[in-house]
Amino acid sequence: MEVFVVEATPREERGKGVARRIRRTGLVPAVLYGGKNKPVPMTVNARQVARILRSETGHNTIFSVQVAGNKEEKAMVKDWQVDPVSGALLHVDLLRIAMDVRMRVRVPVHVFGEPEGVKLQGGVFEMVTREVELECLPGDIPEEFKVDVSGLTIGKQLRAADLPFDPDKVKLVTDPQRVLAHVVILKKEEEVAPAEAVAATEAVAAEPEVIKKGKKEVEEGEEGAEPEKAEKTEKKGKEK
Amino acid sequence: MLMPKKVKYRKQQRGRRSGKAWRGGSLAFGEYGLKALEPAWITDRQIEASRVAITRFIKRGGKLWIRIFPDKPFTKKPAETRMGKGKGPPEHWVAVVKPGRVMFEMSGVDLAAAKEAMELAAHKLPIRTKFVSRAEEL
Repeated sequence: MEVFVVEATPREERGKGVARRIRRTGLVPAVLYGGKNKPVPMTVNARQVARILRSETGHNTIFSVQVAGNKEEKAMVKDWQVDPVSGALLHVDLLRIAMDVRMRVRVPVHVFGEPEGVKLQGGVFEMVTREVELECLPGDIPEEFKVDVSGLTIGKQLRAADLPFDPDKVKLVTDPQRVLAHVVILKKEEEVAPAEAVAATEAVAAEPEVIKKGKKEVEEGEEGAEPEKAEKTEKKGKEK
Repeated sequence: MLMPKKVKYRKQQRGRRSGKAWRGGSLAFGEYGLKALEPAWITDRQIEASRVAITRFIKRGGKLWIRIFPDKPFTKKPAETRMGKGKGPPEHWVAVVKPGRVMFEMSGVDLAAAKEAMELAAHKLPIRTKFVSRAEEL
């Protein structure tokens, strides 16, 4: 397993202007918290954190944080924010880790093999839950769960309880009955002829029902009255 | 065509389209997605055209999620009408899309097929888009 060390510098100033200036230099604002010590606002190298997040262990990687002037601390990425357009890292939350205290982590589930339901029965394989939550010691965190789904047929599911984990070391927090993956049959898409489609569009173009104010006093005539109103206004407009 | 079943008011004010999509900007269901890079009002017809383009291309085998919904009424005054006399009648429905929004998601197909399908869908939309996959996300 690769050993990562993140170099950090304490951050004195706060606010969006300062944060933007920091980001322009290739660093990202971060905070280190957890344990008995106080939270430390700091800046870290965005590339170093991105490398950790892209590593095999992903966000469950335990690494050392070297805050300038202080001793190294073991930490883990607790949360991170990315820009929705560029995907660049904006902020990172780092959690101090004590190697003898049990913690809750989310571990990814990866599947392999082509399900029988897809190969022979014409179904579609769907991954419902991609991560499961576990409680364990930091040293026992599994990198990932690899599950063979080649035996999965239509109507059968892979559940959290089916995952191969050691119950002595790891406790499953996610509901054991939670569906992780299954093979489903998709509804057939009805091919509509273009002329029919146009007719259908015109028919559906009617306005949706408008929720009335106050208590329910909806009479049968009222619902039908709404489209008529709309037509009247349209006609009025055309006359002018 | 997609539209709400019930609404509280028939017409809405236009609003602003500034900012980025701070929600709905990452893949939630599928393996691949189509992300908006510009702000726009995407009409119900454009969403439907994109959906048809994707489903026709993948035929069967894949699953599609549409993550935008046209819940904003678009009103228009009739042609050759004098100004005034109030707001026009609702014409169609639009979805307010901001940069970064994942509009469509897919799974159950390979990367090449997903790219091709998303490109076909992108041609039906009035904005620049980007193909995204789960492997690339941080």
